[in-house]
Amino acid sequence: MAGALPLRLVFKNLFRHPVRSALTAASLTVAFFLLCTLQSLVVTLDAGVEDAKSDRLVVQSAVSLYVILPESYDAKIRSVEGVEGTCRWTWFGGYYQNPSNFFAQFATSEQTLFSIYPELSIVEGSAERFMSDRSSCLVGEELAAVYRWKVGDTVPLIGTIFPRTDGSTWNFRIAGIYRSSAASVDNRTMFFHHEYLSKSLEDGAANGPDGVGVYVVKVKDGADVQSVMSRIDGLFAKGPQRVQTTTEAEFQAQFVSMVGNIPFFVSSIGMAVFFAILLAVLNTMLMAAREQTHDAGILKALGFGGRTVFLVLMLQSLALSVVGGGLGVLAAVGSSAGIRHALGSMFPLYEVTTETTVAGLIGAVVLGLVAGLVPALRLGRLSCVAALRLEK
Amino acid sequence: MISLRHVTKRYWRGGQHLTVLDELDLEVRDGEFCALMGPSGSGKSTLLNLVGGLDYPDSGEVCVAGEFISDIPDSALASWRAETVGFVFQAFNLIPVLSALENLELPLLLAPLGRRQRREHALHALELVGLADRAHHRPSQLSGGQEQRVAIARAVVTDPALILADEPTGDLDRDSADQVLDILARLNREIGKTVVMVTHDALAARRAGRVVHLDKGKLADRPPENGE
Amino acid sequence: MKLVPFSYNLRSLFVRKGATTLTVLGIGATVAMLSGVLALEQGFRTIFTESGRERVAVMLRPGAGSEGESAFSRERADVLVKSSPEIAVDDEGRPLASRESYLAVRRFKLDGGETNVSIRGVQTASFDLAGDRLRIIEGRRFTPGSDEVIVGAKLPGRVRDCRVDDVIVLNTTPFRVVGVFEYDGPFGSEIWGDVERLMEALERPGFNRVIAKVKDGVSFEAFAERVADDQQAPAKVLSEREYLTAQTTMLSITLKLLGNFLAVIMGIAAVFTATNTMLSVIEARTQEIGILKSIGFRPLSIFASFLLESLILGLAGGAVGAVLTLPLNGIETGTTNFATFTEIAFAFRVTPEVLTTAISFALILGLLGGAWPAWRASRMNPVEALRRH
Repeated sequence: MAGALPLRLVFKNLFRHPVRSALTAASLTVAFFLLCTLQSLVVTLDAGVEDAKSDRLVVQSAVSLYVILPESYDAKIRSVEGVEGTCRWTWFGGYYQNPSNFFAQFATSEQTLFSIYPELSIVEGSAERFMSDRSSCLVGEELAAVYRWKVGDTVPLIGTIFPRTDGSTWNFRIAGIYRSSAASVDNRTMFFHHEYLSKSLEDGAANGPDGVGVYVVKVKDGADVQSVMSRIDGLFAKGPQRVQTTTEAEFQAQFVSMVGNIPFFVSSIGMAVFFAILLAVLNTMLMAAREQTHDAGILKALGFGGRTVFLVLMLQSLALSVVGGGLGVLAAVGSSAGIRHALGSMFPLYEVTTETTVAGLIGAVVLGLVAGLVPALRLGRLSCVAALRLEK
Repeated sequence: MISLRHVTKRYWRGGQHLTVLDELDLEVRDGEFCALMGPSGSGKSTLLNLVGGLDYPDSGEVCVAGEFISDIPDSALASWRAETVGFVFQAFNLIPVLSALENLELPLLLAPLGRRQRREHALHALELVGLADRAHHRPSQLSGGQEQRVAIARAVVTDPALILADEPTGDLDRDSADQVLDILARLNREIGKTVVMVTHDALAARRAGRVVHLDKGKLADRPPENGE
Repeated sequence: MKLVPFSYNLRSLFVRKGATTLTVLGIGATVAMLSGVLALEQGFRTIFTESGRERVAVMLRPGAGSEGESAFSRERADVLVKSSPEIAVDDEGRPLASRESYLAVRRFKLDGGETNVSIRGVQTASFDLAGDRLRIIEGRRFTPGSDEVIVGAKLPGRVRDCRVDDVIVLNTTPFRVVGVFEYDGPFGSEIWGDVERLMEALERPGFNRVIAKVKDGVSFEAFAERVADDQQAPAKVLSEREYLTAQTTMLSITLKLLGNFLAVIMGIAAVFTATNTMLSVIEARTQEIGILKSIGFRPLSIFASFLLESLILGLAGGAVGAVLTLPLNGIETGTTNFATFTEIAFAFRVTPEVLTTAISFALILGLLGGAWPAWRASRMNPVEALRRH
């Protein structure tokens, strides 16, 4: 019976200083919003790795991300046993109107794009139209929304790696708008015919390195992925350009690894945020404990145990943290679309995942427990006589 | 009801031991209204705390309502207090954030009662002290006398056998004090509660059936029990 | 106007040690976060912008934003150097110009994972242009025309195969590491070798850029303008400082934005904590306020006194934040330059500007946190203040 909980007392004490409770909860809200947002940025970096397909391989230069491979490799790779098809990806690196309008553009194999990437579907326009029109392009749904592009519009791009000889823009007609259902391809990319780029370089209409950035290889069902990989690597071991064949997941992971210390920085910042907010809540709970010392004495005189006194304060700490922190997590979830939009092409896959949400809520509970612990223990252990004497 | 044998209590004050109670013996029978008087520092409040199980003696035994409470561990003593004792303090000691009614419901949380029963008991106790119309006022909205009456209602709401009052009229004007004393006397007379009251006030002490004088931690005088 | 004695504030802060400490630490953590990011940005900027040589011109293909995008054929590069009278010459009359190739190559980090390391093919003039900024600290320079490289001093501790006598295989050609060099700038994270050998090994079609010393007295702008419109070999000309600044603007802005974003968000939390502390101070000192008012202190004095107390909290928080940040000074770290995906090593720099910003920020937090409670204290009715408790 000594464990009966005066919940009403917990509740009323939270409103004893409404301003203080509100300020503490608001601090928690901004801090947890920040924590969830930072965590989401880190998680986003890994999103491509998790959604990668195991039957797709990436063939890239073993030397450098910036070294392109000869076009002649395409046919050689296709003839390797276990390879079903290839798709070229060459980074175009142009910009639309001015250099700050950054988005990814790739020259690609229009014929195999859809068979190798079944996650792509056309939501407007048509794949046939894209394949039949040499200088047309496909744009991602989100990209189209940002620039208000429609099927049939022409997108003029200024080439930086591939400038046109006459100084004019590259003009791509939008044949379709695609949607990707997996994180392996984002919805902010433009695709156009690799053939068109190669021809333009050949004709002298444009300058730039002639070749293919990476070849994405689809492995035949049942073929052994490891041996396909080593067969492709072996084919070019003596040059002219050594290649490194990896699974799509490894390819994505390599970029995450190249991001370097950033996840570490972000988690250091997260720790500091957590620590700062912990101090804030601890401060509030110590004030509450001081004010409620006398109440604690009364509770004990009435026959409540130390455990009840402990819980009355602990529950206040938990309630503050969960409400304040929870609102912050909610704010992060609610603003995720807006933040993704604001971050633009830097983090096209930004999303507050369920794991992040749950971790945020657990973080709030842990914070409440830690902040409440010392003040509540102190109050719970105080003898009744001392508590009543200490008052005021 | 109360039996103290050779009870000694010392405090450590200003670098030296202060003997507050010195080998004290005291008996209080069931149904008695007993006033404890004595100068400041004579050990009245300490005695009350020991009897109420808020504190332990350094030596000797304290037996209240048939239990040797000086041997009960602190954790179990809390439940014992909840069942056996009701406290009334000089400073009222109501919880400021709770209404009068909620203050009364608080100790009832420790009794095996439902929500509705708790409310009924609490209202009944408020009626007993004549404050049913102040049920939803918070302590700061009540006068001192009213606060003390709520505190008495809280002390009896769980129906304990023993009521311990520490200077219950110390902070009150004469009229309020009289009202409070009336209630305590009525509880003693009509419901048979044992009441032990520490007081400075000779007028208050006169309301008790028996007056015990304390001085320097010992019973100073044992006035013969009058027959009334 | 009579002012409330300052000692009251100090005593008040001391009496409430717990709340004071927590508030100061909370402000300190917030300030440390801001100044940590600023120190990062400072370190980054020192190594890039401030190391840029004012009189060295970087020439790129028109339209190119970086040397990675830029390309010059041999003929174009030669024409550019030979037909530019603005380029200074050495004692023997040779132009102080160097054609360089540049590529970020994939290397493995010592602690696992891959990174990109800039590898630069240079001509001897690059060393002349670098002067004392480049110091060989171990081994020697590579021999021109040989398959040898030297590595920046930041690399051996981070990247595999970067110690003297290690061998770096580029595509299919092995290169021997013969020296380690220090450079007060971004080159400290690069590998340098003979431009002809590297271009052949890496199958580079041409040079990436040309750098040259501009003659004293020649206006940089005029040079840039003339070359931009040159018929035979047009080029984009920037001073090295401009070039490096342009390369890192994005990262610099990102870091500053991040710092500001953190400062605002956590600043809100810190202000609220300070407000809570000051509200509790005022509640505890209600009676004192009543007494001060009743003996004739003006509301403004009371306001000033509490605001001062809050400012002290802020100042102490700022000091704690600064102390927390100071150990970062000089710590080597690396970050990715997203323009090239290469990792650049640099040190945190806790400069006086960083500290000044940190302390000012802390004072603003104290000011914002204390203003409302102080105003409330100043408006208290003395009679009611005295009656309470």
